[in-house]
Amino acid sequence: MKDIISLFFAYARTGLKTRFQYKLDSVISTFAVFFREAAGIIAMYLALLKFDTINNWNIDELLFLFSLIFITYGIFIVFFMALRDFSDWIKHGDFDRVMLRPRGLLTQLVLCGADWLAAFGHGTLGIILFIISANRVGIQWNFGMAVYYIVVVISGVLIQGAVFLFFSAISFYVVETNSLKEIFYWNMRKFAVYPLSIYNKFIQSILIFVVPFAFVNYFPAQFFLRKADMAAYPEWMMYISPIVGIVLYILAYAFWRFSLRYYKSTGN
Amino acid sequence: METIIDVNNLCKTFKIHKRGTGFKGAVKNIFHPTYEYKKAVNNVSFSIKEGEMVGFIGPNGAGKSTTVKMLSGILYPDSGDITVAGYVPHKQRKEYVADIGVVFGQKSQISWDLSPLDSYEVIKHIYKIPDKKYKENLERFTELLDMGKFINQPVRQLSLGQRMRADIAAALLHSPKIVFFDEPTIGIDVVGKDKIRKFIKMLNQTDNITMIFTTHDMQDIEKTCERLIIIDDGKKLYDGSLENVKKGYVSSRIIEAEFESLPITLDLPRTEISDVENNAMKKLISFNTDEVSVNELMTALMNTHNIKDVSIREPEIDAIIRDIYEGKIVMN
Repeated sequence: MKDIISLFFAYARTGLKTRFQYKLDSVISTFAVFFREAAGIIAMYLALLKFDTINNWNIDELLFLFSLIFITYGIFIVFFMALRDFSDWIKHGDFDRVMLRPRGLLTQLVLCGADWLAAFGHGTLGIILFIISANRVGIQWNFGMAVYYIVVVISGVLIQGAVFLFFSAISFYVVETNSLKEIFYWNMRKFAVYPLSIYNKFIQSILIFVVPFAFVNYFPAQFFLRKADMAAYPEWMMYISPIVGIVLYILAYAFWRFSLRYYKSTGN
Repeated sequence: METIIDVNNLCKTFKIHKRGTGFKGAVKNIFHPTYEYKKAVNNVSFSIKEGEMVGFIGPNGAGKSTTVKMLSGILYPDSGDITVAGYVPHKQRKEYVADIGVVFGQKSQISWDLSPLDSYEVIKHIYKIPDKKYKENLERFTELLDMGKFINQPVRQLSLGQRMRADIAAALLHSPKIVFFDEPTIGIDVVGKDKIRKFIKMLNQTDNITMIFTTHDMQDIEKTCERLIIIDDGKKLYDGSLENVKKGYVSSRIIEAEFESLPITLDLPRTEISDVENNAMKKLISFNTDEVSVNELMTALMNTHNIKDVSIREPEIDAIIRDIYEGKIVMN
């Protein structure tokens, strides 16, 4: 474990060093990420001024729902950046290098791929949103709730990591997976910004069973907020995010290992 | 000495998506995708002893890189067995790769934006190289590969030759038992090539490292290896001493000549005329100096034809392969 941590820091040092080769670009890109995402939030905020509430969720509750996406995504890109961009790793032959080193393949991919600056952009935004909203939604924080909050954040990271692990396994067969990611991740993420209960049955089942974003933010947020629309779902769904995360990750991992033998490398 | 690499009936086939031409072809392709199967490596067997240095040559697309990738555990073979240093590479990848080093001439193993030294620090962590051994190796390779001047510069500022040397050092820092060089001299100038060849040869002799060296440059092999494996079209054509190949190779020559008029007729023993792409007036004339001297050939050409331009080429790997097919070089 100590060894894994020291490797993580060795990668982080060189990763940051690389980024600071281009100082101006790095600073701008961090701000760009921050403002691009903040613009989305402002747009939602302005739209909500017209409605007051969406399905009985007020603006602070919606921001709380939203903050979970940003915080989990901020941590996600520290650990799963290489899997997010895995097609490029294959195309450029970088995965060959990973295979030639005497460490676990996923260990290397998870430890070395961090995009620290983007993570900083998303993470800061998530934390700001969380601080603003968590104070105003009337959660009675206690030790147990704080622990569960950390648990659901980790589960959210794991769920998104598992989704990208699936995509990267598909890269072994077809290399390019951009449209898949677009449909099954980025679009689903846009849905997840709003409470699950506003959607029709079809989209709801996708968000619960196919790309389980509902367990990244909706059900965990319900644990803290206890809104009336939760009545439409079994109550235990508020508690199973960690199980969903772990099971999904194990399934994705098994599929990834199996698909590895179809890796074709790139020609010279 | 003991066998360290043992390969039996190795096969690897790639499925290639065949794309139709034009709009019609593209549409047809969506509904009826057609595939072509290319046997990249076709039933190849060989074994290599500890400390041996083997040249692995063949034209582009012959299957050299595919073989090296299977030997280094990157690709799964379709069938056949590979054992290297007691491991099955694709099954015991993690344990196995700690014992090997791989250098790809076409693909750098070190980070473009960092200095070689920065990358070496990470490599030290990945391979868990003890401080003392790391320091010794680093000092030694910095000196031998003459890297002192550029070891702190970002790789993107290095020349191709310098980058290659930095890459070779990166693959050796953990003291591997076996090293695969996949076209390590490609695109590098003559002086740079020479430095690399000398270093590789020296390392093989002093450290007793087993090496496989793929290239399509015959000079690389001449300067480094004693044993040669030639593959073409996925099949092993030749496996034996370099000496044996050289006998035929040294006396075969190619003249490239541009004529003012066609056709060309030559009545000399074992002399062949072949076309050059994109230029109908240019011809390649291959001959064997044992049978026809350069003098005789040139006289014959000058007497009967008007020549605009002429140059003598070193025989290439293709010529050797042709000689093997024609039975002029026999495996020993």
